[in-house]
Amino acid sequence: MGYVAIKGGGRAIAGTKGVFDHLRTRQGEAGTPLDTDTIEQQLRLLHGRVISEGGVYAPQLASLALKQAQGDTLEAAFILRAYRSTQPRLTETPLLDTTKMRLTRRISAAFKDIPGGQMLGATTDYHLRMLRMELLKESSEEFRRISRDWFSSAPEADLPDSFPKVLDGLRQQGLLPQPDAAAAEREPFDITREPLIFPVPRSAALATMARAEQGSLLAIAYSNMRGYGDVHPTVAELRVGYLPVLLPHPITGELTEVGEVEMTECEVIAMYEDDADQSKAVFTLGYGACYGHNEVKAISMAILDRALQAGMKSGPRNPSEDPEFVLLHVDGIDSMGFCTHYKMPHYVTFQSDMDRLRTTRQKQTDKEQG
Amino acid sequence: MVERSQWCSALQALPEEQILSLAKEMLSVWQVRPKVIPQAGLGMLKLHDSALCEPFYLGEFPLASAWIEVETADGTLAEGAAQIMSARTELAEALALCDAVLAARLPGWQQVAELLAAGVAIRARIATERKRILSSTQVDFSLLDDVGGEDA
Repeated sequence: MGYVAIKGGGRAIAGTKGVFDHLRTRQGEAGTPLDTDTIEQQLRLLHGRVISEGGVYAPQLASLALKQAQGDTLEAAFILRAYRSTQPRLTETPLLDTTKMRLTRRISAAFKDIPGGQMLGATTDYHLRMLRMELLKESSEEFRRISRDWFSSAPEADLPDSFPKVLDGLRQQGLLPQPDAAAAEREPFDITREPLIFPVPRSAALATMARAEQGSLLAIAYSNMRGYGDVHPTVAELRVGYLPVLLPHPITGELTEVGEVEMTECEVIAMYEDDADQSKAVFTLGYGACYGHNEVKAISMAILDRALQAGMKSGPRNPSEDPEFVLLHVDGIDSMGFCTHYKMPHYVTFQSDMDRLRTTRQKQTDKEQG
Repeated sequence: MVERSQWCSALQALPEEQILSLAKEMLSVWQVRPKVIPQAGLGMLKLHDSALCEPFYLGEFPLASAWIEVETADGTLAEGAAQIMSARTELAEALALCDAVLAARLPGWQQVAELLAAGVAIRARIATERKRILSSTQVDFSLLDDVGGEDA
């Protein structure tokens, strides 16, 4: 592939900025600029997706990126990723424990009765997918009334601050693999500092998938679900909530809450196999987690985690078990960048293609004419 | 009063302007020197996955930090520090000042304690809202048992 420097088009490129912004504001007098709080609250799932794919938990900046990108999630995540690349790394947290999450949703497909109970939280799982026409002309008064009424009618709750994991019970019964003590001590792979050169450790796979593009993860996980793989998952637990972020206080050294992140976490139980270090068979597990409320992403990641573990152990038998195939194709910024670069001028390379085609055709003509 | 490890998060629940204006008031009569240059950047969030207990990085978050020494009009010295999930060092410095005032009970600490109490109340409201989300959607499987149904 060859490239050539070209001149010209500067005025047109500058014009695109104006046109792009014009389309954002073309409601004119009748329009109201979107404020970042509105985006964060009323488009919370879209917003969470951008935070997750941007890889940095900056709610206001994610809203700004969405506003600037006019709703294009890939572009918004790209803007957020570009922002983070300008920032110095100050520190990392100690190992945080998701049992400390302040939950807003918690379900299990494995057991009806789980310690602490199942709580559906905010979900559309049981909704009819029919348009709610009343939202077409929702007034500010109605909007506020819904908020007020919900809070006053919701039952008082005497619930704990955190809940045990469903997997803990299975682990106590010896039905799960024992944690690998050596792996637990290992420093995790930092995908923001090191390129993925295969083979990579599982921590690289988890970090890559945590900021992967949702649709890409889903597509490859779906291939596994449909038959190009055999994970056959059961969701042991899916939880959504807020994880307190802790750092040592600079003076006292005591772990101090510096904020919290909304996240989704999923553990899947897959088909059992003989444990390498144990005589009896145990279930296998997959894990998914991401910033924001994004269940499809967390479940897809958990399935792919299990598939990749199988591929890393015994060699891949299908695409979803191949770390290189999965991890190099799920990043939205990478794939979008490669895809959209095809829009850029390829005048020289295409000229070369034309020359070669003409030469080939001439040769064919010469051959036909003897 | 709540523990020092909760001061920063409780005060952050308040509108920034309240913290900044209180800090400005104190700064007008006291001297504040940085112990460490205030910084803004990113922190990396490290989790252990709850399936196989292996550590990994979930992602990054903005972080601003400040560590200051404050000298009051009567020469009393105290130190305070703050780290917040924000890119605003100005706010981190104001919170570090609040940290110093509360820790050393410097003059005016009651004002900061009042703000702290207000922040704690806001956080309690948020916690209540989350628990109501859970309680209003808690699944009661016994209803299915009553009608002899079986959940799949």
